[in-house]
Amino acid sequence: MPLLSVLSLCVQYQSAQGVVRAVDDVSFDLEPGETVGLVGESGCGKSTLGKAIMRLVPTSDGRVFLDGDDVTRMQAGALKASRKSMQMIFQDPYGSLNPRHDVGTIVGQPLSVAGWSRRDIKDRVIELLGQVGLPAEAMRRYPHEFSGGQRQRLGIARALALKPKVIICDEPVSALDVSVRAQVINLLEDLQQATGVSYLFISHDLSVVEHISDRLIVMYLGRIVETGRSEDVWDRPAHPYTEALLAAAPIADPRAARSQARSVLQGELPSPLNPPPGCSFSTRCPYAQALCREERPILRDVSGGRRVACHYDLLKQPAALPRVARVAN
Amino acid sequence: MLTLFFDFVRRFARNRAALVGLFLVLVVVGVAIAAPWWFPRNPLRIVGRPEIWPFMSSRYPLGTDSLGRDIAAMIAHGARTTLLIGLCASLTATIIGITVGATAAYVGGWVDELLMRLTELFQTIPNLIFVLTIVSILGQKIEYVTIAVGVVTWTPIARMTRAEFMSLRDREFVQACRSMGMGSLRIMFGEILPNALPPVIVLSSLVIAGAVLFESAVAFLGLGDPNVTSWGQLIGDGRTLIRTSWYICAVPGLAIMLTVLALNLVGDGLNDALNPKLRDR
Repeated sequence: MPLLSVLSLCVQYQSAQGVVRAVDDVSFDLEPGETVGLVGESGCGKSTLGKAIMRLVPTSDGRVFLDGDDVTRMQAGALKASRKSMQMIFQDPYGSLNPRHDVGTIVGQPLSVAGWSRRDIKDRVIELLGQVGLPAEAMRRYPHEFSGGQRQRLGIARALALKPKVIICDEPVSALDVSVRAQVINLLEDLQQATGVSYLFISHDLSVVEHISDRLIVMYLGRIVETGRSEDVWDRPAHPYTEALLAAAPIADPRAARSQARSVLQGELPSPLNPPPGCSFSTRCPYAQALCREERPILRDVSGGRRVACHYDLLKQPAALPRVARVAN
Repeated sequence: MLTLFFDFVRRFARNRAALVGLFLVLVVVGVAIAAPWWFPRNPLRIVGRPEIWPFMSSRYPLGTDSLGRDIAAMIAHGARTTLLIGLCASLTATIIGITVGATAAYVGGWVDELLMRLTELFQTIPNLIFVLTIVSILGQKIEYVTIAVGVVTWTPIARMTRAEFMSLRDREFVQACRSMGMGSLRIMFGEILPNALPPVIVLSSLVIAGAVLFESAVAFLGLGDPNVTSWGQLIGDGRTLIRTSWYICAVPGLAIMLTVLALNLVGDGLNDALNPKLRDR
């Protein structure tokens, strides 16, 4: 049985212009000890999905099972009990720590909410600070005395406090300097080795996600367009959108970057208020056919546990399709 | 935390006017505290010849009123009344305002609508008339005047608290608290409120000044507590003699003016010290 199971989850916002489907019919599983990377460009609903799983935003349809219990239908008491199995690391290390509390209070907060005694909290906080590589003296200091990377470590320590089974990492390294990113990523990996926790790792940075993830989920306009094992997706993207995302990832070697033919996405992300008919990527897809603009492709299984939502996926017949917008630069 | 406090003191001290205000407020507080030792007998007692002008007699440095009561004693004891009403009314207003504003912003939806319409309703009623109505219904006692002033002056605090809560409510540290299952009350008052408090404290300090004025107006109109001296009451008593013995009104008037001015200066200083970003723009 998967640890976390998301079934046809939908999140809708009512805005002045109409209904926005921020997350639309999303399903996936997360196994114990696994890391699933969730990628997509800004505004595709990946953060909303993470928050919906945590029940920080209301869902309009679908279910989330954690260890077999339906989180979406839980009453307050059961929900509070389930919180210790699932925690979240936030994007902004400056906004996610209350500036008025000292570190001991912040990191110990989940324990205090769970009803631990003051003495146990103190011991556990010292242990946690050690786990994330901060000295025990940090307890009495305030968030503004720490750097961005250190603050994110505090956020990680707080998320780990109750020994959760799942941690939802909402762009945990996006706000950090490149030099600090690797440290935090390595810390997350070490902690996974030590505790066996599962991560849902949300990011728009493919190089980060590829490094840490066992499996990848690619989202576009609130829907999953492709899932699969990380190496498979990375080596041979099946959906044109994934291909474009991978092509947009920076390449370290400038000569290799110049010599490579890259497909560059044209146009902007369509408004989620008024998604295009048919395949939502059809307006920007270099391979789009008439069928793509009329009929929405379902997320179907292809080879080796991969799923893709495309009528003409690139695994099947990549060479046979006309390449419209392939730019050599 | 200590460095934060020193920072606060430094920013406050940078504003000279605020230091003058703080000095005046401390003088008034000192007089209020010292009054029972300084003038141990009932200040409403008749002590001498009526209408002695200030500085004419060494026994009554601020003179006597139309009944021959010592004005200095009444000013000193009046300072107690005035400050007590100011502080308690401001506290009442702050508690009501924070509760209403925080609830409206945090709960949102129809609760927000309802509470904000209620706030607007209170704002549309002329303040002084509202105070007079409450006092005349409840009775002429110092506690009721305090409550009345508090009930009238909470609206700006509620609106300010609501605005602060709105901007803090969706911050990630609040989401973190929700994701660990923290209760709404603890989030509102333990997590959000400490961050929302600085601008509210500034408003509360200004409400003290407003409350002093309200109390004076109520006492001037003769609706104050007759058994307690207050500055407004002194002015009210002296108003019939304003042509001849104008000092009876002028002395307490000056006291009110200086106190309110000082409280406003302190409020400005607090604003500088607590909301540095707003000021340095």
